[in-house]
Amino acid sequence: MFSFALKNIFFYKSRSITTFILTFVSTLFFIVYVAMMDGSHNSMLKNALKVYTGAIEIYKTGYRDIGGNEYFIENVDEIESKLSQIDGIKHFTSRYETYGILSTDRYSSAAMVTGINPLKEENMSQLKATLIEGEFLSETSKNCLYAGADLIKKIHLKVGDEVSFIGSASDNSFAADLFTLCGVFRTGSFEFDSSASFVSRSYFDELMYAQNKASYITIDVDDLEDVDSVRLSIKKQLSSELEVLTWKTLMKSMVEMMQVDSIFGYISMSLFFVVIFFVIMIFGFINVSSRVKEFGILRCIGLSRANVRALLLYEIFILSSLAIVLATPIGAAIAYYFSIHPIVIEGMSETYKEYGIVSDSVPLDFNIFTISWNVALIYSLNFLSVIYPISYINAFKPIEATRHV
Amino acid sequence: MYKLILKLAFDNAFLRLSRTMLVIIMIAVSMSMMLSIQGLYDGMTLSMIEKTKRSDSGEISIYAKGYRLSKTITNSIKNVSKIKKVLEAKPEIDALAIRIKADGLSATARKSSFSTMIGIDLKEEEHFGTFSEFLKEGEVTFSKRGVLLGSELAKTLKVKIGSKVIFSAQDSDGEINAMALKVRGIMQTSNISLDASAMYIDKKVLQEFLGIPKDAAMQIAIRTKSKTLENSLVAEYRTLEVKSFLSLYPIIKQMEDMMVIFNSITFFIVMLVVFIGIMGVMYVSILDRIREFGIMRSIGLSYKLIRLQIFLEALFLGLSGYIIGAILGYAALSYLKHVGLDLSAFADGMESYGMSKVIYGDIKLSYFTSTLLAIIGASLLSVLPPLRKIKTMNTIEVTKVET
Repeated sequence: MFSFALKNIFFYKSRSITTFILTFVSTLFFIVYVAMMDGSHNSMLKNALKVYTGAIEIYKTGYRDIGGNEYFIENVDEIESKLSQIDGIKHFTSRYETYGILSTDRYSSAAMVTGINPLKEENMSQLKATLIEGEFLSETSKNCLYAGADLIKKIHLKVGDEVSFIGSASDNSFAADLFTLCGVFRTGSFEFDSSASFVSRSYFDELMYAQNKASYITIDVDDLEDVDSVRLSIKKQLSSELEVLTWKTLMKSMVEMMQVDSIFGYISMSLFFVVIFFVIMIFGFINVSSRVKEFGILRCIGLSRANVRALLLYEIFILSSLAIVLATPIGAAIAYYFSIHPIVIEGMSETYKEYGIVSDSVPLDFNIFTISWNVALIYSLNFLSVIYPISYINAFKPIEATRHV
Repeated sequence: MYKLILKLAFDNAFLRLSRTMLVIIMIAVSMSMMLSIQGLYDGMTLSMIEKTKRSDSGEISIYAKGYRLSKTITNSIKNVSKIKKVLEAKPEIDALAIRIKADGLSATARKSSFSTMIGIDLKEEEHFGTFSEFLKEGEVTFSKRGVLLGSELAKTLKVKIGSKVIFSAQDSDGEINAMALKVRGIMQTSNISLDASAMYIDKKVLQEFLGIPKDAAMQIAIRTKSKTLENSLVAEYRTLEVKSFLSLYPIIKQMEDMMVIFNSITFFIVMLVVFIGIMGVMYVSILDRIREFGIMRSIGLSYKLIRLQIFLEALFLGLSGYIIGAILGYAALSYLKHVGLDLSAFADGMESYGMSKVIYGDIKLSYFTSTLLAIIGASLLSVLPPLRKIKTMNTIEVTKVET
């Protein structure tokens, strides 16, 4: 039956060529499109995680929903010693985050001022790596301020200038100090660069009465895929008044927006698939309807309905397999190449800065599992497209089919 | 004779009903899907453009030189009342909104966030962009030190209607001032930056708080249908910055362009596949009836009339698909226009990225006219290869062909 199907494929060239080309193009297009969509989403997430947000963060329950000074984590040292025992954690550090006003004599701006541990922060985030002027903080930095490039632009500040800070300390008292701008960073995230500034914790803790306190503890994991299991391990070690959240919750808006983007992507793709499915079906149907007589004779000489079904399924299997076997490595190679050498769209990050795009490069996502389900879907559509032609031909009685005009 | 050709074409187009129906279904389904997707994407972009114009820029906005680079209260437009008078006298201007803005820190007892206080005149804003339609919760009023908050800012500050918010900012003397306000309403404009940071209060209250002259403002937004107004305002106000909507929001222009490119590619691919589908069916249909055409030629029917019959057959196929596709597409577009695509499950993500959780489609006559022309074109072009076959056939030989 297989060789018979092969013979038919070569005999009915136009149907074979059309089915082959459409299957080849749709497979290639689907693999590359999904790789591009997933790649851009992954890149956005990774960039956002790299900049500041941790893969896992620990908060006192209520800090995020209610807020206020009574929701600071109190026993940071004890928690940190527990975290150092847990497998899967790469780095961690605590941060004391507050909001206040930074002012010069003429200009002022609201800012997020965060007390950080400079040594630990080097491993956790891109803060040091994104330094563009001056120097990063150290344990002995004292009143040094490390601020975003867009924030200092707003208040017309230069490295070495003094800026006053007014905020409130952890005991609700008034906190004010004079900082000196020591370094400037630019992460590429517009929102972050125009609002964030940092001070060494050793100094800031004294100013804010925040010794052994933290707004949250941020954690980097060995493997992002294992984030849920690491979260569970941490949760077991900590008291119930602390909540342990992964990036999926912390960046819920971004994750949801990516899901919406994917939905629209798949809606667009579905249009192409519907059209291609119909064309393959029409060509399959035309082919079968022009062979009614042939099938009638085959049935008369002893082929069963199941044999006819098998013959047509073999035909579509061979054609689909040939196209998919050729298209998959090409699509996979394109996805792999552009995952290592991302496509660069000049000016994209500037244009889409409000949407959290921090890089001009769009890497494709090379993922064997994704490619496999892409291929499986195309296979399924091709098999679905022969169902009607099979039912059409099998509806004929053998004698009736031999007389068909 | 032409009547007979028309009847022959119609009968033959539906002779093999199964395959004819397959082509018609293919055209109808793909066309209705294509129209729905186009309408949905266009609706999404148009809604963003419209809401951005209504909530912020209008078609044109005027700023003091340097304000957009350094948003300080010293960079304000002076003599606003004089400019307003001149602008109001221009017949091509439909509405004006004069706003005062100041960046600062908003805080509750527990949460703080960056915010932009925008001083507005509610009547003016209502006329400018039906401001009250942006209300998500509460009411549009500034009574009893009332403030209206952007929806994302309200989420960040975890405030409800009636909550107290303190706003601190630097005044015109360089002093840090603060004022306590009560949340009266939560506004959702679908403009990312406004929803994330805007606090609306009465213009006069903000003027007083900042200590700026009554005749100063940061933005004059203009609604107009005129295409030439921007250039005349640029010439008229050389000391100010006159900016069109697209230059203020280049991202929206880019989104619009991307939608046009995407819709054109989709349109081209769908029409190409429709062409292949009709061509396949017509080719086989003609081959099936090659003997019939041979006989028709033998009894004296000219090639021109046979060609006309085949063109009409293809047109019947294409137009049948088009009519069903147009009905289905219109039904889908009407549904999307009036009910919309509800993405409430992703509300947080949609709203924080400046989109409504329900996306409404748009219906344009051009969707149907351009598709009609393309389907007519695809139908006519698709029969050219089979027509070549008929033109070059040997009449005597083909009459002997067994089908």
